[in-house]
Amino acid sequence: MEDQSEDTAYRWEGDYEKTWEVLQEDESGSIQASIEAEINKAKKRRLQQSRRNVRLGMMRHLYVVVDLSQAMCDQDLKPNRAVAVLKALEIFAQNYADQNPISQLGFISTSAKRSEVISEMSGAFQRHLKVLQDLGANIITTNAKNCTGEPSLQNALQLGASSLKHMPSHTSKEMLIIMGSLTTCDPGCIQDTISELSKQSIRCSVIGLSAEVHICKHLAKSTKGSYGVIIDEGHFATLLNEHVPPPVEISPESSLIKMGFPHHVSPMESGKISLCMSRNKFTAGGYFCPQCQAKYSELPVQCVICSLTLVSAPHLARSYHHFFPLPQFNERKVSGPTKACYACYKPITTAEYICAKCKVQYCMDCNAFIHEILHSCPGCDISRTQFIPSSNGL
Amino acid sequence: MAEELERQLLVVIFDVNPVWWGIKSLQGQAQITKYLDCLRVFVNSYLLLHFDNHLAIIASHSTKSVFLYPPMKETGVIEPEETAPTDKVGNDRRYGHFARVDNTVTDKFKELMREGCEESDIRRDSVIAGSMATALCCIHRMQNELPGKLNSRILVIKAADDAASQYMSFMNIIFAAQKERVVIDACILGHNSGLLQQACDMTNGLYLQIPNQDVFLQYLLTAFLTEAELRKHSIVLSQSTRPREVDYRAACFCHRSLVDIGFVCSVCLSIFCQFSPICSTCETAFKPPPMAAKTRKKRKTPA
Repeated sequence: MEDQSEDTAYRWEGDYEKTWEVLQEDESGSIQASIEAEINKAKKRRLQQSRRNVRLGMMRHLYVVVDLSQAMCDQDLKPNRAVAVLKALEIFAQNYADQNPISQLGFISTSAKRSEVISEMSGAFQRHLKVLQDLGANIITTNAKNCTGEPSLQNALQLGASSLKHMPSHTSKEMLIIMGSLTTCDPGCIQDTISELSKQSIRCSVIGLSAEVHICKHLAKSTKGSYGVIIDEGHFATLLNEHVPPPVEISPESSLIKMGFPHHVSPMESGKISLCMSRNKFTAGGYFCPQCQAKYSELPVQCVICSLTLVSAPHLARSYHHFFPLPQFNERKVSGPTKACYACYKPITTAEYICAKCKVQYCMDCNAFIHEILHSCPGCDISRTQFIPSSNGL
Repeated sequence: MAEELERQLLVVIFDVNPVWWGIKSLQGQAQITKYLDCLRVFVNSYLLLHFDNHLAIIASHSTKSVFLYPPMKETGVIEPEETAPTDKVGNDRRYGHFARVDNTVTDKFKELMREGCEESDIRRDSVIAGSMATALCCIHRMQNELPGKLNSRILVIKAADDAASQYMSFMNIIFAAQKERVVIDACILGHNSGLLQQACDMTNGLYLQIPNQDVFLQYLLTAFLTEAELRKHSIVLSQSTRPREVDYRAACFCHRSLVDIGFVCSVCLSIFCQFSPICSTCETAFKPPPMAAKTRKKRKTPA
């Protein structure tokens, strides 16, 4: 549904035709093999979505707009939409922090024709999680009493844009709107806001929880974002996950950014307590800004005194697998007794996956694990046929 | 009380770099066989702690990585009775499971030594990163196959020095371990290892450089026998797990020197120690910083 062109039929109309025909019985009348093949196909599809030779927006500033209006009390997602969305966003925030270590995140809520920032744009992901958890708990205890009125798309967009427009031009500016309502109550003409957003190259994507709404689709299309309407909870997670990896960059500008790599001073070594500038608490030890000596207890952070971005080398290294993605392994069907998987020594039953560089074979599970989590081929590491030039040495 | 079933899995990675051990034994300082004996005592003690403790030992050579235990076969079939603990008592009155672990490790190690290696394969560094990657794949498999919760831990017994070329894979392994909640411990026999320091710090593992190598076994038993979860109850262990200064500074791509303040390319995140108009890694042209533009103007005015 996400990437259909205007004139074709909706994908879900085609997808549900004769689904049973996929499953074929084998000689013994079992459909087990057929089901396994389908599962493997789904796994493979997920792996093949890697993009190559595109410039990615590594420094992202993303505002997630959560609709907390009356429409979010619907119970089509369990226990209700608002709680389900906040739960899903917690997982999203964790994944986002993991894949975009030097990016920032913020949350905006909209209800009763207003919108407010519930968590300021920052790289302190623990704080975002706390806000989301508190909000979720609050909604459960008050039985969603605070989800009232109509949402205001325009107010939320303007609020986000007012903060995003100050961000430097080399960063990727994004908004992700999660709409439960089919209506919006706006103070002015939303078309002006949309054209303003596209002028500032703020990418707006929308995930609808109910049905397709023209204005959301138009918003997503004119700001180069994506638009999707969820089918069920699983599909909602899939749509959210599409926003986790860094997007293809739309702003043509790039620049060298000055960054600080602060030393860590352990509490035992420093012995003195000093003020942590991000949490406003006195703590012993921490990271000291190399430019102005302000202290922070967590990285990454932007120094509030001299506005230097403070990171550590592993934060940057965490993003490297986006630049040097592991090439896909070649699949080969096998039959009869074969070699075991190179990494986990599990006997390979249906298909083996062979690394083009080091020519060793992996099982389906290891193939998925290596490409999704490890991002590094054990065989290549051992035989030293590395495809990655050594960088950032010690 | 319905307690969730928890199991322990320990993967020991033993560095058997021929150059390092060769030099040590020539100097008469250390024999690898003595250390292997210590390791065997250590894994036996580990298995003694609980009947359902799982174990794997990987030997990391300079160009290969071999499982010493469990006995992995080329075809991938492991006889279940070969690894399952039994109460059978061996000929020498030893507990059968221990005898089997001992024998397998010794046999596999002998096999590895007998195989030897080509002259071209002799290198000063071992494929620790590769062994750790295999270990993670195995842990991933065990997690899928065993019911209940599996607390996994990798213990790296490292002798040879770090290789800078392994940096990228090493980092990927650390992040994967973090995601899978695998603790990485390091027991260092040789020089300090910056990579393993970072790995242990980021996965809350224990990093220990052994000051006195004669009492290797004692260090193993005191520091690395307890599971990661229990360490916080021990004053000595919980203090030594805290990072002594782990250097997280980055090295610039242009001169490979450590930098405090550097410039990072917004496209490919390469690090440079000074401003350059074109990124040497991804060939992106940058717009000059506002500072540079100002100085130019100043120069023009007097002329």
